[in-house]
Amino acid sequence: MNLKELYQEIILEHGKNPRNLLKIDDFNKDAKGHNPLCGDNVHVYLKLNGQRIVEDISFEGSGCAISMASASIMTDLIKGKNESEAKEIVEDFLGMIKENPELKSENLLEDEKTKLMCLSGVKQYPMRVKCATLSWHTLVSAFEDKTDLVKTEN
Amino acid sequence: MNIDQVKKEFPIFDEKIQNNDLVYLDSANSSQKPKVVIDRINEFYTKQFSNVGRSVHYLAVAATNLYETTRTSVQRYINAKDKNEIVFTKGATEALNLVANTLGQSYLQEGDEILITELEHHSNYVPWHFLRKSKNIKINFAEINQDGEITLEEIEKKITPKTKLISITHLSNVTGAILPIKEITQLAHSKDIIVVVDGCQGAPHLKLDMQDLDCDFYAISCHKMYGPTGLGILYGKKKWLEELPPYQGGGGMINEVKKDRISYGDLPNKYEAGTMATAQVIAFDQSIKFLESIGIENVMKHEAELVEYGQELLQKNNSVKLLGNPKDKGGVLSFTIEGIHPHDIATILDEDGVAIRAGHHCCQILHDKLNIPASARASVGIYNTKDDLDKLNDSINNCKKIFNL
Repeated sequence: MNLKELYQEIILEHGKNPRNLLKIDDFNKDAKGHNPLCGDNVHVYLKLNGQRIVEDISFEGSGCAISMASASIMTDLIKGKNESEAKEIVEDFLGMIKENPELKSENLLEDEKTKLMCLSGVKQYPMRVKCATLSWHTLVSAFEDKTDLVKTEN
Repeated sequence: MNIDQVKKEFPIFDEKIQNNDLVYLDSANSSQKPKVVIDRINEFYTKQFSNVGRSVHYLAVAATNLYETTRTSVQRYINAKDKNEIVFTKGATEALNLVANTLGQSYLQEGDEILITELEHHSNYVPWHFLRKSKNIKINFAEINQDGEITLEEIEKKITPKTKLISITHLSNVTGAILPIKEITQLAHSKDIIVVVDGCQGAPHLKLDMQDLDCDFYAISCHKMYGPTGLGILYGKKKWLEELPPYQGGGGMINEVKKDRISYGDLPNKYEAGTMATAQVIAFDQSIKFLESIGIENVMKHEAELVEYGQELLQKNNSVKLLGNPKDKGGVLSFTIEGIHPHDIATILDEDGVAIRAGHHCCQILHDKLNIPASARASVGIYNTKDDLDKLNDSINNCKKIFNL
């Protein structure tokens, strides 16, 4: 176990000052996620254009440093990607948090991968994996117009 | 037994947890188990096991006697009038569900009102919510004051002519407030209102006297009381347990079963359908004897000293904010730190071997009221020391350092 790996400076910084933490006015897709164990909530808003490119993305919610940082970094990385690229990034991220040693996505630049890998310390804390993944599951739900609340228990 | 020696009776404290000595501050969630309880389970399964209350062979009779011995010990420990007022359940949750279900079946009527409080654990709210759904019963909430207490005056204020039942916690698992159960019961009974007490936090830490409290029902969680998991106790006044219908049907709870009619067994069998948590019941006798050997007055004095010490320590720690400040307080220290989420606090404390709980502690109503999504909670038991609370404070300072506060 290594706390320094979990709470890297970039995580603390994003946790304290999350990017895109607002409700964008002109969103056309959204979904809510909830972690019933700890009470964390997240609401992801997407503005998807005709070419299914994410023109804008934001989130609202409250949670621990890990969940806020994860949502913050996610929104930064997904902005400007098209739907299939975004979903591929989500898969890659979830795979990395679960078991893969590194990210394989060709839709991410090297420095984006480095940023995302800051969350890899969560792997060593099984109880905290849900904190890191809630916003990502919620993003997929928003793309797919699912109205059910995303629950990390499922 | 000397309270200073108590910790040695708990084998878990001989273990290294992730290379640390264990500082266990999560007893409100579940307590650790003394060696006598652990050994008793092993001994029963190894040398004495049989099902109870059915067969006539030697082991069955002996096991039945052991099982009933615990019932007598519980009766003594909580000073119930009658041994048959003690019903074993699978937990306090089942005990509260049993009360809500059976009162719902045969006593409460559509339009009746139930009074609970904002301090209640979900297990003393959700079972009543079922009746709100099925019988159109209204649930009212007594509100906390600024110290996180529920006063007698507030209860009096919230009673209406339709109030038929008050269901309240003895000791809040979040603010630590101890409720004036005896006074509330006196008031309620003067208005023909039934009183149900969620004693999960009260039973392990307070002196219990059912005849003095005079409440109608009292639910106990054995695993919070230095006993095994999978076991709870419902105390119910005999007149209620006799009058109310059974909760679950099955073997052991019947008198006679015919194709066209069934009659039910007498107390306490009426409420103990199926094979019960036999080994747990038998081992729980050791938990009671263990508490009796220390003396509940000594337990209460020790824990009051700990909570006072911990409270002072945390009050002096900048940026730590304690939830509630009740005058009559049990061993629970819930807190928040501005700028650090409770889950981050719990993870960092865990790294130092300090086990606390983070979240809403099954009290979302209370956290909504306090306008916070979650809190961190350190709770004490008989094995804790002031040194444990110093370690808690040191570890909180480590959190602040990591988060650059």
